[in-house]
Amino acid sequence: MIGVAPALNGVIGALAQEGPAHAATAAGPAWAALIPALPLLGVVLCTLCAVFRVKNRLPAVLTVACLAGAFGLTVWMFLTTGHGTAVTTSLDWIRFHAAPGHEFVSSWGFFIDPLTCLWMLFVTGLATLIAIYAGEYMAGDAGAGYSRFFAAFNLFVFSMACLVMADSLVLLFLGWEGVGLCSYLLIGYFYKRPAAVAAAKKAFIMNRIGDVGLMMGITSTWVVFGTVEYAPIFDMISRGVDGAGNALPEWAGWVIPSLFTIGAFGKSAQLFLYVWLPDAMEGPTPVSALIHAATMVTAGVYLIARMYPMYVLDGTHWVLTLIAWSGAITALWSATIGMAQFDIKRIMAYSTVSQLGYMFAGLGVLTTTGAAFHVFTHAFFKATLFLCCGAVMHGFAGQLDLRRVSGLWSMRGWAVVTIAMLVGCLNLAGFPFTAGFFSKDMIIAECYVTPGMAPVGWVLLLTAGLTAYYTFRVFFRVFVGPAEFEPGDEAHAHGPAGDDHGHAAGAGTPSSVDSTDHSHGFHPHAPGLAINFVLGLLAVLSLAAAATYFVGGEHGWVGEMVHHSTAGVSGAALPGGGAVHADLETGAPGFLGYNPHAVMYYVSAAVGLIGILIAAFLHGPRGVGGLLIGSRRHAATSRADALLPVLGPVARGAQHKWYVDEVYDFLIIRPIWVIAHLFHLFDKLIVDGLVGLAGWLPRGMGGAIRPTQSGHLHGYAVGMAGGVAVLLLVVLLVAW
Amino acid sequence: MFLYLTILLPLIAALAVVLRPARAAKPIALAGTLIPLAVVGYLFAVFNWDQSAAFQFSTADDVWLYSAAPGIGALGFHLSVGVDSVALLLIGMTALLGPICVLGSYSAITERVKSYYAWLLVLQAAMTGVFAARDLLLFYICFEFTLIPMWVLISVYGSTNRRKAGLRFFLYTFTGSMIALAGLVYVVWYFYSTTGRWTLDIGVLEAAARMMSPAEQGWVLLALLCGFGVKVPLFPVHTWLPLAHTEAPAAGSVILAAVLLKLGTYGIYRFVLPFVPVAVHEYSGAIAVLCIIGILYAGLICWVQTDIKKLIAYSSVAHLGFCVLGLVAINGAGLSGSVLYMLNHGLSTGALFLLIGMMYERYHTRSMKELGGLAARMPVWATFMVFFVMASVGLPGLNGFISEFLCILGAFQAGGAAWWGGVAGATALPGGTWGALGPWYGFAAATGVIVAAMYLLYMLGRICWGPLAEPHGHGGAGPVSDRPEGGAAGHLPTDLSAREIGILLPLAVLCLGIGVYPAPLLRALEDPVARTVRIVREANGAGGSGGGSALRADTTAPREDLMSARRADLPGGRP
Repeated sequence: MIGVAPALNGVIGALAQEGPAHAATAAGPAWAALIPALPLLGVVLCTLCAVFRVKNRLPAVLTVACLAGAFGLTVWMFLTTGHGTAVTTSLDWIRFHAAPGHEFVSSWGFFIDPLTCLWMLFVTGLATLIAIYAGEYMAGDAGAGYSRFFAAFNLFVFSMACLVMADSLVLLFLGWEGVGLCSYLLIGYFYKRPAAVAAAKKAFIMNRIGDVGLMMGITSTWVVFGTVEYAPIFDMISRGVDGAGNALPEWAGWVIPSLFTIGAFGKSAQLFLYVWLPDAMEGPTPVSALIHAATMVTAGVYLIARMYPMYVLDGTHWVLTLIAWSGAITALWSATIGMAQFDIKRIMAYSTVSQLGYMFAGLGVLTTTGAAFHVFTHAFFKATLFLCCGAVMHGFAGQLDLRRVSGLWSMRGWAVVTIAMLVGCLNLAGFPFTAGFFSKDMIIAECYVTPGMAPVGWVLLLTAGLTAYYTFRVFFRVFVGPAEFEPGDEAHAHGPAGDDHGHAAGAGTPSSVDSTDHSHGFHPHAPGLAINFVLGLLAVLSLAAAATYFVGGEHGWVGEMVHHSTAGVSGAALPGGGAVHADLETGAPGFLGYNPHAVMYYVSAAVGLIGILIAAFLHGPRGVGGLLIGSRRHAATSRADALLPVLGPVARGAQHKWYVDEVYDFLIIRPIWVIAHLFHLFDKLIVDGLVGLAGWLPRGMGGAIRPTQSGHLHGYAVGMAGGVAVLLLVVLLVAW
Repeated sequence: MFLYLTILLPLIAALAVVLRPARAAKPIALAGTLIPLAVVGYLFAVFNWDQSAAFQFSTADDVWLYSAAPGIGALGFHLSVGVDSVALLLIGMTALLGPICVLGSYSAITERVKSYYAWLLVLQAAMTGVFAARDLLLFYICFEFTLIPMWVLISVYGSTNRRKAGLRFFLYTFTGSMIALAGLVYVVWYFYSTTGRWTLDIGVLEAAARMMSPAEQGWVLLALLCGFGVKVPLFPVHTWLPLAHTEAPAAGSVILAAVLLKLGTYGIYRFVLPFVPVAVHEYSGAIAVLCIIGILYAGLICWVQTDIKKLIAYSSVAHLGFCVLGLVAINGAGLSGSVLYMLNHGLSTGALFLLIGMMYERYHTRSMKELGGLAARMPVWATFMVFFVMASVGLPGLNGFISEFLCILGAFQAGGAAWWGGVAGATALPGGTWGALGPWYGFAAATGVIVAAMYLLYMLGRICWGPLAEPHGHGGAGPVSDRPEGGAAGHLPTDLSAREIGILLPLAVLCLGIGVYPAPLLRALEDPVARTVRIVREANGAGGSGGGSALRADTTAPREDLMSARRADLPGGRP
């Protein structure tokens, strides 16, 4: 693998013209606007398909075409921009005089630097692949929700492109809320299912909480810098001045980053705001793979990476310390929940929250490279994992319970899925020489380099072991072992409500597995060409992502990209010209006296392998598949069952997600609900009641003279109308 | 001349509706709203947008009109009209909603058709008159005259509780307007007492009124707020609105939400800010608190409603809270956002009321307990519903966001409150501007954005998504003729008809258009907004420049001196 590196390095070096870090901002190519515009065209085309009630797979074809075009343009943008920074200008969006001589400007313009390119490459690339997959996956809905699905899918890519490519914080906010909308629409895609509706609503509202933080961050930025556009902001930060040319106020260094962090926590499901993401699995699986694993949820990481110069303004870095700790806590917390779940998609969702925690920890310990690299590798392997889960769900009529499906490996037609799943699991578990291994290592090692962050490193190491365990728990339960299955609800519940794939029952290829006692004539539906193609390609790509570690500079290709962007920690954009990290590295504590960067490969590899071995022991089948230490004979049972009584409440708590939803409901939602009802009562009885009383008093007192009044408002009104009309008429007559 | 036409044509059409047989009512009403719309379109085309702060199409300087009215002319009444860009845009929205309301009533109103359309047209004329008036009396006549048609629409064509709702609406707003009248009359008297002349010209009065002492201004502010605040409605005086909205027919609700409430905010913009700038600056914090209470309190009440119309009605209280908040922020962002909010709320909430009306015509219920999953039955309706809910919830890319964001930004960046921990006054910062509010106001209002998502998505979840639920015997699995209720709904298809889609589409296009490219609108509002800000700033002694980098030299100290000096002059002190 390392032998390949120089060659690849040469190619990439030749493609990307080398420039100094933070070269002066150039005028960007106008055609860059086509990258968001093509998915937007896709929205329009899919909407037309819906209007004209297209019954075939045309929307999928159109979507793939538009997204592939966007991907092609992104590659071209990457090749031509190199390591420079370019800003395109175009139509104004919001522009007004905030004060004479001072305009608020936010245009439909794009800021293109290596960080933008990095994000856009995997966003558009994965979106294209997942659209191909979804074309087959959603085929049962052709003619019904198919156009709606792809319209929202395109809209998502458009919003994500706006988020990533925006040249101002307000346009970023458009993308930010836009992806939230698409997430809402797509989680609630099966809108007849109450769980999906509730999950969609929850996702949108939780995101909104973060959005308010981001919005306040934007307004604060405007107040301090007098602009919301990136280029001038970064310029001022590098000079350490505010928009008026004075020294930056001290509070700006922590107020603005903390507000942005709230936004990032909402979108990336961190700390208190993570609970929407597992529920979001109610959406169709391609959506979970693209939006809730690979791209949208990394927007928080992108935001912090993009705004990194602001985060390092404050010398004490306490916001970053907070981010590191919350990332580590989130990683551990959700990993413990993931260990105890039975729904494989939920396990993957908790694992996404956990991996996002790693990325935040990386941002917190000053390795934007590690964070971005983990985003990059995670995008590929997590998309692979989700799409494999989707294939299982698709094939077994919605079955996601790992106790009810087993031994896919030996069933006909599932080879590609099994291999892709294995690749994904190895990556996630941090198996040596996989992409996930390198990216996770980089973050953990950096924790031991940054002073005071070693505890974060220990938490992350522990989490790495848990991750390996729960990942391979899924693999050993579902993909190896005795071939058994039970179909999911959708095999017999084809009512008008919650119809996922209408063709699930009986349409599949006959399976050689004898399962009549379970399935009542149900045959699993092995994935077809499109799904297998996408899974195979993604598996290859997730492995190939490791190669990027060996090309480019010291920290690989991603490191090179990040280094030349605003997220480059040692970049000239920082006050003090990049001394920040160097200062911190002197006198670094190290890992038990060793150089963390050198030793972490072995430590984390060992931790990962231990996790895998425990999973094999507890959940592995007898024989080679269980690495000779497993013993499972049936889908539903394993050695882990014996542990449940021992663990008692701990296992139960983890199974019930530590009752976080219940606590939120009891502590937050119920009280607000009660307050709302009290307000309503108050409004009816007191506020309105006083008015009624005020209206009553004169009437009561006027009782004596009532006979002389008509008492009917109608009379007054007509009288008054007549009076006014006459007055108007007189005026008109006199005037003319 | 053309401006008069926009007021007179609906009146003439109303007369024609009354005189002609009932079957001609609909076409006449449609023509009576479409022709003014065309006239307004012409006005938009010939309006000099470079001079958007100047009152154009004015007849005030037509000698023949002046000299021909000697009797009332002595009092200064001139029937003068004229519009700046703010007024013209609001007239545009009113004119646009005219034909939409007429078309939207085609199938809903089947009895007493003539008087319905006649009153609708009269209402149209009166509302246009409010925005066009440059004469105080004309303004007030039109302002008051909106009450009667609306009252008739509610109490004759409304649903079960219509009499009570109509009465409450009438008495409540009428009382408020009377107090506002007292305030306006005081301003006129003040002008007479200082100059010895009578005038009702708004421009002249405006210049004079801000010379009033802070105490006088305080009382006038209170009086005007009684009238305009009830109309908006601001927090403690809002209870007429849910009742009126719930009982009004669909088109009535549309007009009520889209235009009538804007009479209040327009009144604040046109009269309160320039007439009593010192008082408004002094009390803007208190008004803003009322707005924020309205945003959160009404928002939470929305969340526990079961009646859809009531939910949207309370949401208007919350939305208009943002609008007034932007007004009292008194800076470029806040005021442009607020004026834009008046348009945007009209478009999106108007459309929501139309949609609910269409649903009501089919199911004859407004209760969310009886309805559910209508997306399965009416996908086109549900698509529009989602669209306008998103516009209402403030999704960027649609119109609501622009105005909401600017209102919040306006409140946030104003430099009155030293939230910045005394590190630096916000006005000293490049994006900070002069104004009375501060970051905490912006933050408190912004939390309303979460509440808005809560109640609007709750509504969507109840009526659009979930398992299909329809009231017994309604809706239609079977053919149209099998439906038990017959009547109006019998003519309607299950999903929206072409007519219904036709009236929603222009609104949707505008919502999207304003959301994607608001720059021309903001450009058009720039000058009048800057003018208003300048008036308030100068009256408060904050200097002529408008803030930003040029403002850094300003401090609040001179203003404080001036204020205390003025207060010292007054025997009565502060009101």
